[in-house]
Amino acid sequence: MTDVIKARGLTKRYGKHLAVDHIDLTIPAGRIVGLIGPNGAGKTTALKAILGLANFDGELSVLGRNPSRQRASLMEDVCFIADVAVLPRWIRVKELIELTERIHPRFSREKCQRYLASTKITPDHRVKQLSKGMTVQLHLAIVMAIDARLLVLDEPTLGLDILYRKQFYTNLLNDYFDEERTILITTHQVEEVEHILSDLIFIQDGKIALDCSMEAVQEQYTELMVRSDQAEAARALGPLFERVLMGRHIFLFKDADRAALGALGELHTPSVADLFVATMSQSGHMDGEISAFQQTAGGAVA
Amino acid sequence: MSRLFALLKREFWENRGALRTTPIVIGALYIVGTLMAIFTTVHFDNDLYTFKEAVRLFAELPEAQRANLVFQTNLLAGSSVFTIALGVVVFFYLLGALYDDRKDRSILFWKSLPASDTLTLASKLITGLVVAPLIFWVVYLATQLLTAGIAAIMVMTAGENPWTLYLGISQPIKAWLLVLASWLTNSVWSLPIAGWLLLVSSFAPRIPLLFAVLPPIVFAVLQLWIKFLQTFTFSDNLFGVLGLWFANSPLILSAQENDNAIEVALGVPGGNTFDHAVTLGNMLDRLFSQQMAIGLAVGAVFIAGALWFRTRATEG
Repeated sequence: MTDVIKARGLTKRYGKHLAVDHIDLTIPAGRIVGLIGPNGAGKTTALKAILGLANFDGELSVLGRNPSRQRASLMEDVCFIADVAVLPRWIRVKELIELTERIHPRFSREKCQRYLASTKITPDHRVKQLSKGMTVQLHLAIVMAIDARLLVLDEPTLGLDILYRKQFYTNLLNDYFDEERTILITTHQVEEVEHILSDLIFIQDGKIALDCSMEAVQEQYTELMVRSDQAEAARALGPLFERVLMGRHIFLFKDADRAALGALGELHTPSVADLFVATMSQSGHMDGEISAFQQTAGGAVA
Repeated sequence: MSRLFALLKREFWENRGALRTTPIVIGALYIVGTLMAIFTTVHFDNDLYTFKEAVRLFAELPEAQRANLVFQTNLLAGSSVFTIALGVVVFFYLLGALYDDRKDRSILFWKSLPASDTLTLASKLITGLVVAPLIFWVVYLATQLLTAGIAAIMVMTAGENPWTLYLGISQPIKAWLLVLASWLTNSVWSLPIAGWLLLVSSFAPRIPLLFAVLPPIVFAVLQLWIKFLQTFTFSDNLFGVLGLWFANSPLILSAQENDNAIEVALGVPGGNTFDHAVTLGNMLDRLFSQQMAIGLAVGAVFIAGALWFRTRATEG
């Protein structure tokens, strides 16, 4: 199986600012990849280059095609949901289905109608009559009815309530994903996707800060929680990151000796959010957003 | 081909109000106006005496004159209101064609479908320049047939045979087809303007109307001013060029005197570049002129610009 996405020195400039800074990236088929980074890190810019929505410098091949020159042909094998509620508001559901069927060679009307049958959406609804959650359901039904090899989701559930968000990812995993397909997701709600991801890419200031599989994360990273009297001993073992939560000290270690750590306190597999905070702060970027992440992470642990 | 058809359908669905409802409302108003005129006549003229006199006088005219009078009326009277509405509808349609989906961000959905930007742009140009005139023409034809029927009944109540009086000799079908030919040739003639509107539509950050109208005005006023400073005269500026373009258009818009008779004319007669008599030959003459060649070149530059902006509409 060839690589779905292959980038060498992928760069995007806005004036003097490097939004994406010489990224090397290889994503094989059959993976669910989370692209995670703070606002303005270059996630959306990188996705736009991959989807042929923006020009770029460097080498980029998606399913063997150059996205900026072959967007139309690429879109036969790639689907994307870029942001919530971008379906045209004037269109009726049945018109949307007919248009997609006529334009997209791999769209299955039957599949789409099957997905829609479990929702409250009817063929005569106009998109502007649908709630935000229903619009996302409709878009997902359209996208899942397309037999594509790569699905790109850019903040697909932003602003939705928890029921729709859960259902979104459940549908995606149960009805859509298989070994042939690749899914690339960016989201701020890391906790929601971390259980479905197979690979993790952190992006920061246009550069890749971390690129590894979830198995590798579990193998390489360990979280240690100790009482404050053991903190000094833990610090001596060279942790990547330390935080304090309700009087306990939590340390993140990479490639550490688990037996030695276990003697000091409780061991956990770190959550993606914790790993993210540690990776970002290591590079000396602790801005407001990362603090917010830390709180989310703390909440999850507590 | 099926993709282009789907995109054309999309344009029609999105612009049903402008493309379908507008001509139907105009046609309905036209019919209602005709009926109101008849009722007014009947109301003040119980035995239709005046009307019958008019028909009798008309019947006394020589056949050629009768035929010409009805032919000319068919060309201009029934079509002018549709011609103007079509112009307005196409103007605003093209102005919004590449703007609306950028504004509501649905461009992100359209660009997720495997249809190239070139095909999308083509579908919009075809909708404005071919589909819109065709829809307007079908509705125009329906109103013409209806009013012709009403007129025939009226003439029969006056005791004359409408077929021998005018219908059989005035070539109504030729007049209706000439109207269609005039609209379609004008679509080609207007390509530089359509291209300009699409270009504005593809880049205007907001209020495309302002971006479409202001630059030409500023440009022309500057030209006028510079010319005035140099020679103390006003001539040869963008206003003049556009005015001449309009005056030379193959639209059936005005009337001119020909052999002491008033005859319907293409554009606005005045210059001697083109023959303004309403014939298919004169319409085609405009399409194979030097002016058209320049217009096509200008239009091509504008449309290429619109395509350039369209492919980059999702940057940033």
